[in-house]
Amino acid sequence: MIVCVAVVGHQNNPLYIQSFTEADDVLKLHHIVHCSLDVVDERVNNPKKSSPTLNETFLGLLYPTENYKVYGYLTNTKVKLILVTTDLDVRDADVRNFFRKFHAAYVDAVSNPFHVPGKKITSRTFAERVSTIVKSFGLSSAS
Amino acid sequence: MDPANSTLGKILLDEITPVVMVLRTPLVEESSQKNQLSFIQLLSPFCNFNNIDVPVRTASDQPYRLKKFKLRLFYASDIRQPNIEVAKERLNQVITDAGEKDLSKLCSEPFQIETVLNSSQNEFLPSWFQYFNKELVRTVSFSEHEAFDHPVTCLLAVSSRDEDPINKFVDLFNTNQLPSLLNDGAMDPKILKHFVLVHDDEEIPLERATKTLAEMRSTFGANCCHLLCINSSKDGSEEHENLWAAYKTDISDGQPLRSFLSSDDVDELKKFIQDLSSKHIIPHMEQKIRLLNQQVSATRKGFRNQIKNLWWRKGKDDAPENPAGPTYTFSSIESQIRVLGDYAFMLHDYELALSNYRLLSTDFKLDKAWKHYAGVQEMMGLTYFMLDQSRKDGEYCMENSFTTYLKIGLSGQRNATRCGLWWVEMLKARDQYKEAASVYFRISGEEPLHSAVMLEQASYCYLFSTPPMLRKYGFHLVLSGDLYKKCDQIKHAIRTYKGALSVFKGTTWRHIRDHVHFHLGKWYGFLGIFDVAIKNMMEVLACGHQSKTTQELFLKDFLQIIQQTGKTYEVPKLQLPIINIPSVKVMYEDHRTYASQAAIHVKESLWRSLEEDMIPTLSSKSNWLELQSKILPKKFKESNICVAGEAIGIAIEFKNPLQIPVSISGVSLICEHSPAVSEPNANNSTGDQNGETSNKSATSGNFTSDTSSFTLSEADVALGESETVLVQLTVTPRAEGTLKIVGIRWKLSGSLAGFCTFDSDLVRKKVVKGNRKSKRSPIDNLKFLVIKSLPKLEGIIHPLPETVYVGDLRCIALELQNPSKIPVKKLKMKVSPPRFLQIGRKEDLEAQFPTCLERKSSRQSSLRSKTDIVSDDIFLFPEDTTVVDGAPISCPLWLRAAAPGKLSLYLSVFYEMGDTSSVMTYRTLRLHFNIEVLPSLDVSFQISPRPSRLREFLVRMDVINRSSSKGFQVHQLSSIGNEWEISLLEPTKVLPSDFLRAGHAISWFLKLKNCRSVTDQDSASSLCPPEKADVNLLSGSEMLFDIYSSPLSEFHHYERVHQRISDQEHEDTVDFILVSRSQKTILFVSFYSVRTSNPIWWIMDGPQTIKHDFKDTFCAIPLRMIVHNSSDDVLSIRCKPSGSAVNMSSSGNASASSGNEVGWHDLSLSNDIKVTSDIPGTRVVKPLSSDTVPAFIWSASSSTHFILEPLSSRETPLEISVFSPGTFDLSNYTLHWSRSSQSDHGDESRASSGTCQGHPFYITVLQQD
Repeated sequence: MIVCVAVVGHQNNPLYIQSFTEADDVLKLHHIVHCSLDVVDERVNNPKKSSPTLNETFLGLLYPTENYKVYGYLTNTKVKLILVTTDLDVRDADVRNFFRKFHAAYVDAVSNPFHVPGKKITSRTFAERVSTIVKSFGLSSAS
Repeated sequence: MDPANSTLGKILLDEITPVVMVLRTPLVEESSQKNQLSFIQLLSPFCNFNNIDVPVRTASDQPYRLKKFKLRLFYASDIRQPNIEVAKERLNQVITDAGEKDLSKLCSEPFQIETVLNSSQNEFLPSWFQYFNKELVRTVSFSEHEAFDHPVTCLLAVSSRDEDPINKFVDLFNTNQLPSLLNDGAMDPKILKHFVLVHDDEEIPLERATKTLAEMRSTFGANCCHLLCINSSKDGSEEHENLWAAYKTDISDGQPLRSFLSSDDVDELKKFIQDLSSKHIIPHMEQKIRLLNQQVSATRKGFRNQIKNLWWRKGKDDAPENPAGPTYTFSSIESQIRVLGDYAFMLHDYELALSNYRLLSTDFKLDKAWKHYAGVQEMMGLTYFMLDQSRKDGEYCMENSFTTYLKIGLSGQRNATRCGLWWVEMLKARDQYKEAASVYFRISGEEPLHSAVMLEQASYCYLFSTPPMLRKYGFHLVLSGDLYKKCDQIKHAIRTYKGALSVFKGTTWRHIRDHVHFHLGKWYGFLGIFDVAIKNMMEVLACGHQSKTTQELFLKDFLQIIQQTGKTYEVPKLQLPIINIPSVKVMYEDHRTYASQAAIHVKESLWRSLEEDMIPTLSSKSNWLELQSKILPKKFKESNICVAGEAIGIAIEFKNPLQIPVSISGVSLICEHSPAVSEPNANNSTGDQNGETSNKSATSGNFTSDTSSFTLSEADVALGESETVLVQLTVTPRAEGTLKIVGIRWKLSGSLAGFCTFDSDLVRKKVVKGNRKSKRSPIDNLKFLVIKSLPKLEGIIHPLPETVYVGDLRCIALELQNPSKIPVKKLKMKVSPPRFLQIGRKEDLEAQFPTCLERKSSRQSSLRSKTDIVSDDIFLFPEDTTVVDGAPISCPLWLRAAAPGKLSLYLSVFYEMGDTSSVMTYRTLRLHFNIEVLPSLDVSFQISPRPSRLREFLVRMDVINRSSSKGFQVHQLSSIGNEWEISLLEPTKVLPSDFLRAGHAISWFLKLKNCRSVTDQDSASSLCPPEKADVNLLSGSEMLFDIYSSPLSEFHHYERVHQRISDQEHEDTVDFILVSRSQKTILFVSFYSVRTSNPIWWIMDGPQTIKHDFKDTFCAIPLRMIVHNSSDDVLSIRCKPSGSAVNMSSSGNASASSGNEVGWHDLSLSNDIKVTSDIPGTRVVKPLSSDTVPAFIWSASSSTHFILEPLSSRETPLEISVFSPGTFDLSNYTLHWSRSSQSDHGDESRASSGTCQGHPFYITVLQQD
């Protein structure tokens, strides 16, 4: 199950962060997403590791914490998309697929002429779309 | 890097060294305690050799020199596994002590992240970590499965004062006090012994001691006996502080150590230990290594032995599994290999150690002796490290050991911790900080306090890794802080959170930042450090992005802390509520004074245009120089001027960012006042003064001391959820000088005082009033020059209606009052807009309304206004009017609500001071009020010329009541101007009741007659009596209003101006005034202007019905047209029948009189076919289109041309020829008129020519039988 998705701007400022758990662990998820940025930075700034996948937006598993797996995705504009999941065996293809949809949703949201770049995404449509994507992720991996 | 010099290397050289078991009699201890040292402490400083330089030969034949060496001394009673509870207690104590020590740093500001990154590891890492780690490692010392903690030597010490020392020596070793390690067979009880006779010089003579030594030598052997002399200094004044400083942890510092040890004693102690090490312990260990190595080679080395060993161990597989693993006694080969390895390690022969550990680890693995296996793996890892080779193997061994320890459960936990700590150091030595951090993370186990320390260390590893992983650093600090808090180590928790704060401070991750700030604040509050607590809490107060419950929690805890302080707390830049500084508006009165708030918000330009003519000195340069430069110091020329005793108002927006209501009280301004400076030279001094005081205000905000020179207003505001409230504050200066508004202060929830200064660069103040100087720095806008008190007029309007209906006309009074003793004079007034507001005459106030508007019998009044149209000028009060000391004067004003919507009315009163000595010679009072005008009657007129009568019109007036509820009485309709006469077509009343109800409509039909004529032009009234210009539409009331009386005529004038009709009356428009009433007193007057069509009127006159016999000839009918010129110009008029009749005339009759007109002859034969239709019968109306055939033609002189004098009529004959019977519409002609050139001087808007379509005129021709 996806517990949290986040969009982080190119200055590592949170643009959108949404958790999908009932429990009151918002702070924890914030921390996890925040920490994963360290790993994103490391991957991006370490050309040795990333050279074979220079143009790859999907960053793969960022780091496994005790209970969560964190995946990352970096757009051309250095916006990071982060996914936190509790699933233990996640297929890479699923995650890639998720990020592709998530990215499309993000692009549509920021294409809104009323959206101020660098500001938080407050679009309700975007939130709804993301939650649909999140739900469908759970379904596709289960089947 | 040499592994021995790394942190881990130092630890290992320190910790994995031979252990000396010390057994001593109580008297030995007593002698030692004379120096406030235990016996071990006495010896310890000499056990550490940095350059012992002893040749060592272990298994190989090649000797090498040992440089570093250390002995560890322990009392026999201490050589056992430490009690877990006691150890835990001690560790907790270490942490608590460390927390207490840092108290001074606790309150300091968190570091900037840059300084954190730049600071070196050593200065940043808390120093107690190493100590803590050491203590943690020691909790697992003297374990059975490791040999390096097993004593190598036993040191037996007996005092020379003891009775029978020889027996004492024997007793010491034989008692049951020996450690369990020796007793239960984990190690060889046959241990190297060394006998020491401690001689206390003070009490026993040396001879007796030497005698005892000789005895000992004979009993125990010459080599292993020693005499140790101490306390030979008699006065106890020797100072050896530095030697023991590191070893006497239990003695409080600072107290000078009394020592009875002479320098000879110290030398002897040193020599004794050195001898013990180099001559006894090291050779003993060498010997043992060689011995064990031989055994191991014999039993385990070589192919045969290995096979045998494997087979033998395989056979043990069937044995029942022992959870603790098999036990190995000292005589077992495994134990011996372990001892061999450990001894080799301690003598720095790592190659030998490693080969033995390797051998051993496979054995233990096969035996499933996991604890032993882990221990050996650990040692292998360390050996790899010390050899500085095969890093991967080393790390693998450490990891293997760590996981194995964890696998065996609780008993291995602490061993795992030790292993982990060593592993971490190994990684750190190789700059693998990131990996080290994750190992720290793995070490953190169940014990929350230890986990906290480990997590904190992990966080520092993230910080020191390259590149630094700051976010992980922060996160682990937060995790660690939470655990510290759980264990009530609040000071540590604060320290970690503070570190985390330096990471999160600048970020936009507000959720996390708020959490850190909030908890820091709470914890500081626990400790009673309230100022820092409040500072942190304030960061989270304006947390509009948090949920409501969180906001409530934050605010509640914050107020709790404030309450705990027990006093009102003053804080700069309090975030709650948010003050919208750009919204600050300043309202003050200099020469411009305002009657109400509403007047202040009116645009200055509007007032200025209104006052333009009234204020004489506004643009006069000479006056400005004369007045201002003389009286005002140069410095303040740029300041705003205000008058003592008159309030300066500040409007400021308070915004509540929270979703919970917040109440603030005691909102007031912070001002500073400096008394007037008489000489302009003192500019510098005042400047300094101001500078100083403003500095003060920025820090404290406490400015209540100087209240004598001004008074401040206070306001209490309750802010609802996310509400923005505009607060009006005033400061009233009492004395002359300069007044500066510095800032604002308020109290939150009664206990927290916040203040905020209007920094000059922050204030984008909107100066409500335009300034005479256009350029000025913003800082001056809040600075006022206070001049001495001046009279100020106050004006009110009463009765001021809030809502009126359209057309409402009423008299209101402006009441002016001067509360001051100083008189004001030369009052002038101007009102705007004149369409709605007119200044009345003095007697209007007394007159009864509306009866004063009724028509008087005298004629003069009605005529007066005709010429006496009010110019939009300034109303001058009578010369002698002075207003002083509260006596009010009144001035009548007429108000007419001309249009629905919101009416804005402006009045400006100008007055001069009676006292000419003041800076200001005049002031203006500005009044502004708004009136809501509701719709009432909607009237429309339709005017059409009456065809049968010349110069008469039919007027249809539709009246609809558009109001929502009110009923109106339509009272009177009047036409303006003398040449119009109006009357009802039918005198009967249409209205069922007197009132026209809301939403109802009614129509009247009226007759309008122009009675203007040339002869009576100058005395029009005689021709048309005014009674005839009015129609009374109300039954039962004969009262008529005089529409020419003031103020109706003035309002009519401005209405016309408004409707852009030229002042000059046109002959072609008519103005109506409809007077309607609602209640008794309210009068409604509406003006309507109706444009009548043309300057010419005409009627066609002729027979209606004619009988004619068409068999004979066609029928010629003579007609008359009467044309009247109603304009003031001479008109040239041409009557022209329409061309559609031409077709007929060409064939039938060529007698067209005006042959010069080409149009008459333009024809085409193809049309002739149609012409032939002469069907007798009744053709009713012929539509006038080109393809139909008219049955008649204009004949004779039907096209005529003539000149018409102004206001005259002329009759023109016309004739038509009809060819068949029928009814004909004779409207197919046009009248062209044009003004003759002499009257072209008239305004150009008037048309100089025009064309009129003919009126319908029907004629019926019947066949005569």
